Amino acid sequence: MKMEMERQIRIPNRNPTVFVFLLLLVSCHLCSVVSWKKDEFRNCNQTPFCKRARGRKPSSSFAAHDVSISDGDLTARLVPSDKTLEDQDQNQIKQLILTLSVYQDGILRLRIDEDPKLDPPKKRFEVPDVVMPEFLSRKLWLQRLSTETIGGDASPSSIVYLLDGYEAVLRHDPFEVYVRKRGGNRVVSMNSHGLFDFEQLRVKKDGEDWEERFKGHTDTRPFGPQSISFDVSFYDADHVYGIPERATSLALKPTRGPGVEESEPYRLFNLDVFEYIHDSPFGLYGSIPLMISHGKSRGTSGFFWLNAAEMQIDVLGTGWDAESGISLPTSQSRIDTHWMSEAGIVDAFFFVGPGPKDVVRQYTSVTGTPAMPQLFAVAYHQCRWNYRDEEDVEQVDSKFDEHDIPYDVLWLDIEHTDGKRYFTWDRMLFPHPEEMQRKLAAKGRHMVTIVDPHIKRDDSYFLHKEATEKQYYVRDATGKDYDGWCWSGSSSYLDMLRPEIRSWWAEKFSFENYVGSTPSLYIWNDMNEPSVFNGPEVTMPRDALHVEGVEHRELHNAYGYYFHMATADGLVKRGDGRDRPFVLSRAVFAGSQRHGAIWTGDNSADWDHLRVSVPMVLTLGLTGISFSGADVGGFFGNPEPELLVRWYQLGAYYPFFRAHAHHDTKRREPWLFGEKNTERIREAIHTRYMLLPYFYTLFREANTTGVPVIRPLWMEFPSEEATFSNDEAFMIGCSLLVQGIYTEHARHASVYLPGKELWYDTKTGVAYKGGKTYKLDVNEESIPAFQRAGTIIPRKDRFRRSSTQMVNDPYTLVIALNSSQAAEGELYVDDGRSFGFQEGAYIHRRFVFSDGKLTSVNMAPAAPGQNQFSSECVIERIILQGLSTGQKSALIEPANQKAEIELGPLLLHSKKGPTATTIRKPNVRIADDWVIKLF
Amino acid sequence: MKMKVKRSFIAAALCVLCVLSLSLESISISIVGSASSSPTTNQFLGISPQDEKYYKSSEVIKCKDGSKKFSRAQLNDDFCDCPDGTDEPGTSACPAGKFYCRNVGHAPFLIFSSRVNDGICDCCDGSDEYDGQVKCPNTCWEAGKVARDKLKKKISTYQEGVAIRKQEVEQAKIAMAKDEAELSKLQSEEKILKKLVDHLKEQKEQIEKTEEKERLQKEKEEQERKEAEEKANQGKRKIEEEAKQDSSEDLENSDGEVRRTESTYEEKIGILEGSHLSQHEEKQKEEPVAISENEFDSGSKVPPDEGEDESEKTESLSREELGRRVASRWTGEDTTKEGEEVDAVKEDTHEEYDGYASETDDDNQKYDDEDVEEAADNDFGEEDHGDSDSSYKYESDTDSDFSDVTTSSTPSWLEKIQKTVRNLLQAVNLFQTPVNQSEAASIRKEYDESSAKLSKISSRISSLTKKLKHDFGPDKEFYSFYDRCFESKQNKYVYKVCPYKQASQVEGHSTTRLGSWDKFEDSYKVMVFANGDKCWNGPDRSLKVRLRCGLKNEVADVDEPSRCEYVALFSTPALCLEEKLKELQHKLVVLNKEEPQGHDEL
Repeated sequence: MKMEMERQIRIPNRNPTVFVFLLLLVSCHLCSVVSWKKDEFRNCNQTPFCKRARGRKPSSSFAAHDVSISDGDLTARLVPSDKTLEDQDQNQIKQLILTLSVYQDGILRLRIDEDPKLDPPKKRFEVPDVVMPEFLSRKLWLQRLSTETIGGDASPSSIVYLLDGYEAVLRHDPFEVYVRKRGGNRVVSMNSHGLFDFEQLRVKKDGEDWEERFKGHTDTRPFGPQSISFDVSFYDADHVYGIPERATSLALKPTRGPGVEESEPYRLFNLDVFEYIHDSPFGLYGSIPLMISHGKSRGTSGFFWLNAAEMQIDVLGTGWDAESGISLPTSQSRIDTHWMSEAGIVDAFFFVGPGPKDVVRQYTSVTGTPAMPQLFAVAYHQCRWNYRDEEDVEQVDSKFDEHDIPYDVLWLDIEHTDGKRYFTWDRMLFPHPEEMQRKLAAKGRHMVTIVDPHIKRDDSYFLHKEATEKQYYVRDATGKDYDGWCWSGSSSYLDMLRPEIRSWWAEKFSFENYVGSTPSLYIWNDMNEPSVFNGPEVTMPRDALHVEGVEHRELHNAYGYYFHMATADGLVKRGDGRDRPFVLSRAVFAGSQRHGAIWTGDNSADWDHLRVSVPMVLTLGLTGISFSGADVGGFFGNPEPELLVRWYQLGAYYPFFRAHAHHDTKRREPWLFGEKNTERIREAIHTRYMLLPYFYTLFREANTTGVPVIRPLWMEFPSEEATFSNDEAFMIGCSLLVQGIYTEHARHASVYLPGKELWYDTKTGVAYKGGKTYKLDVNEESIPAFQRAGTIIPRKDRFRRSSTQMVNDPYTLVIALNSSQAAEGELYVDDGRSFGFQEGAYIHRRFVFSDGKLTSVNMAPAAPGQNQFSSECVIERIILQGLSTGQKSALIEPANQKAEIELGPLLLHSKKGPTATTIRKPNVRIADDWVIKLF
Repeated sequence: MKMKVKRSFIAAALCVLCVLSLSLESISISIVGSASSSPTTNQFLGISPQDEKYYKSSEVIKCKDGSKKFSRAQLNDDFCDCPDGTDEPGTSACPAGKFYCRNVGHAPFLIFSSRVNDGICDCCDGSDEYDGQVKCPNTCWEAGKVARDKLKKKISTYQEGVAIRKQEVEQAKIAMAKDEAELSKLQSEEKILKKLVDHLKEQKEQIEKTEEKERLQKEKEEQERKEAEEKANQGKRKIEEEAKQDSSEDLENSDGEVRRTESTYEEKIGILEGSHLSQHEEKQKEEPVAISENEFDSGSKVPPDEGEDESEKTESLSREELGRRVASRWTGEDTTKEGEEVDAVKEDTHEEYDGYASETDDDNQKYDDEDVEEAADNDFGEEDHGDSDSSYKYESDTDSDFSDVTTSSTPSWLEKIQKTVRNLLQAVNLFQTPVNQSEAASIRKEYDESSAKLSKISSRISSLTKKLKHDFGPDKEFYSFYDRCFESKQNKYVYKVCPYKQASQVEGHSTTRLGSWDKFEDSYKVMVFANGDKCWNGPDRSLKVRLRCGLKNEVADVDEPSRCEYVALFSTPALCLEEKLKELQHKLVVLNKEEPQGHDEL
């Protein structure tokens, strides 16, 4: 950006120095104003529904009547039981309808809404297109319920079958819903503390003021208060996790209760937060109302509230209810939480677990498993706001080659467009976009351009013209097209809630419509919270109107989700359904994992942000979003070279690995910090490329099971308490443990290695016994990473310009044997691009080492005839760690060939690196069944 | 892998290839270039001719890093044995390896082993792609011809440039000698003149003393007269006292006046400059205020008094203002934030990591660099730059117009002064009372004129000394850059580069300082201008001007690769070095040697 100031403010013939000096005088009292503009956002006290709900005392205001089974569901009417309340509100509290449904795999769904027969002024919003149609088809048709009076209860409870060994219980009065082991301990419960409150829609009374004002913005609230709140308890839980997105610890700290200082509840409200701070319950760009509890004794359970309105959740510290007088009819330890939402209905899912992976599987069976990315998307991405022009792009691209650093994707931020009109190019800077993309594509590389949801209100802009004519924009409270301010200046926003608008939008990505796009171009959706610079809390007013009178407040958290969905659909359409889309989104909602990748937004170049990126990415993973990462290097500010290097070393293990920087920062491409640092960054990026086969296999695992690519340690070691709050280290799959280095000039790192088996340092080959914390020496060359004994990791050790050229390269298997001289691991391979894998066009092998022989077992079901995937790739090297006997030779069957066993390098690129037992050139095909016997 | 070839066959093919390539290189090229299914796995593939001995000397070969040994059979067997890649020069098996492209017809070079059989043609002879995935045509001859032509062009530019440079160096030497001569002459003149001025000053002071004496005498007489009168009026006490007071005040006053006159002289200068300055300052102060007012009127920015309660104020902003303001957080364009970073910026001035000037001594890169440079030179030669990219004399107040002291008739003026002074001194009787008014006036006049001249000479001396202190390069080849500016128009901006002074970016009427002269870098290949105007949210602006050989002094290609860190290319004969010319000529000879015989038959 050249001479931004002068250009912007058009001052002729002035001396900028003096101007600057004067501004300094005028504005130096602003110097102290740093980063996060806390005051700009509402806190709970400034949010009436939150303040009210938080102030609510435990009581029991509803009872379940007319409990029965209908259409395979358990239904009941919730009748207000608190007469005084009823009198006060002059019958405005009516009966509610409660429905309990049970789905396969131990999922209980609870819905509570107003009774449509009682003529509510308006239908409350239910979030569409999030729950998978397949999930609905897995409903268990309830046949009967049993009724018993449990414990000292005065009223009976209705009990239905949930899963072998589990039951769902509805206590009638006071009403309470919970899941328990059959006839035994509770797992998750709702309204055990009677905090349930449901503000029903009603007709405004004379003189009643429903408006809410905040920072000069007025929310007209035409439908008045409509919030819902209730308590949820997790039993035998040591910690609760989840409810992203925010920058804070993995294990959620209590926000209320004895010993808790002033704390806001965890907020779920998608916002574009400028310079967010690194430890705060404040909500960021995404909202996933899924909480997961985990405890040593019982295991894992989960609770998901499908609701897209602003939500606030308190984690209540032990003893918070000391004065309430309510004691639960159980001696189980528990964690209580309080959920508050501004609008919508109760549509909640209980997940019984019992293991961490079970909960994730159960949750992703509701909202969908992560999409399978193309192989290139799993590799390294290079981004900056902005690569300025074609020459810059070419220059950066060639420098990667010059320094032998691989990368797969070059990104263009907003400045590439003609005046922030998306789908256009600044033809001064990018006169030949197709040629530019083709040049990258010739090296197997891809490009990503940004497409944001704000549409410039410019009558000559085709998108705006069409959207205006078709009346596709979100309206303001007065019914006019909503006009907000964003990058493009005065802008409007499409009503992405409507499927026909989404499909219209999707068409815009066709090669004809998106002039200058080519098949190697993919998309980035930023600002889709949506960010509105002059809106309340930098977003769209809550009283803006979507289709069928849906208020923005009701779907706010899902706006970006629909936008992301429409964009991803566009790329699928563009490729005639044969090319997997890649769309990065900043806004997140439950189910976003189906549409593409997520990043943690505008972080800062400091060590705290490096540190917090791990719990942020882990939390996203726990809540279904496997494909995520933080901006490597930190978006704002200039990282010291050491920080940048550390970030690359950590970022190489993020599922989504992209470097990005603000346009005010200095250039920070990997070769700009001296040869030593270039080498370290190259090494970090190479590590990622080397592990691509492993990562890709894990992405497939996530795609089939929902289990995230990177995982908290407790997901792999659920009974080890020492791991429960560890968010410095993480697992990649079940085989690799990585410990970040989060401090400057670190000489040592304290690393806890769980389990009973050995762990092999991936760089040195040194073995460490599990179950201990080690204080390890560290240097600047890498961060600690360990392979767990008993696992097999597939690698590709040859380096290329990009992942595209690695397709035919041979594999290396790294086998770390456990105490019984056994190990196993998997390899998944497909064409890396198409949807053929959905028809079985892939290779999926399980490698098992035991009894001195390595066997490759086919895991793929026999694919139906025509859609096959094959590969000529071979395994060129097998590294064996922890082999106790000195076998000298290997026999490959069925080929009946011999292969030598020798001492080879553990890593090819490290000078004077450690050596390990190596089977030299077995050259067995990955597609084949084979056995390699050592003798 | 499609490289499973029987070893004996390879050996045989290898023999054939060796022989062929020795006798008929063109054929071997055609084989390498088009071979897909034929056994191209020459066991010595990817090895430079200088290195072949290393591999052929024995059956057991050492890894070059000494880490281990490998057998001849393990050479290029597509399995990495040496961490440094010694055993796999011809395959992609070792990440650390390098592959040697012979590129007959062009220049040989090394590529990273990661490029071998990656489906992309890297060597112009196609030798890096032999697994049949892609067919790489041999483009060495064409590429070589282009390269040779470029090189020839570059050489001819250099040849001409070297001649121009020689001339300029000569001229610079003369000019510098002239400056030095002028300086030493001025210095001696200064000495003489200083004496004269001192003399005149003495005279002047003498006269003033005498005048003062006269005045005091007069005053005394006057006072005596007054006192006499007063004595006559002794009875009126009050009046007496008042008179006393008056006189004492007078005395004080006169003392004060003396002092004041002394100081006023200095002050005058001070005031003169000061008033200039303060006027200037006032002007400057006024202007930005006016700007900001403008600003607010236009409604695009933030009021200056807006502060801690910033968020409160947002309520009074229009929606558009609010939008712009929030946007400006990310873009850093908010005018009110300008001051925030002034201090922080200082830290950034130490520029350690310089992206765009980074160079490594990598062979590969050298090749690329050369290419870039050549391309650039080429463009340059072809382009006909209009008058817009021109150079001109640097204008500055200090260096302006010395004609009266530096004209060729200099000796005469000094002599004239000397003579006049001599005459004057002879004519004037210093101890005459009362002072001869006309004589005094001429002394004063002469003093004023001479001292004015002296100060002019002194300032000229200081500016010359300042100039000569600069680093003009080993051959003073940059001497002519002093006092000159070079301009280049890029879109709407005009970039002005004034070596040894400053560089700026001009858009219409507004000028932004990109930096003031700092130094040469990279053995006179880069001019650095640092500490320019502060950038929003960023560092002080700076400019690095990369110099290259060209026939004219011209700025081109100003760029801003990192925010507010500018780079420019500058062509100048000063960079047309003879050694480099020789190097290029040698390179051409080598290239011509590589030219295969009978390429036409291909």
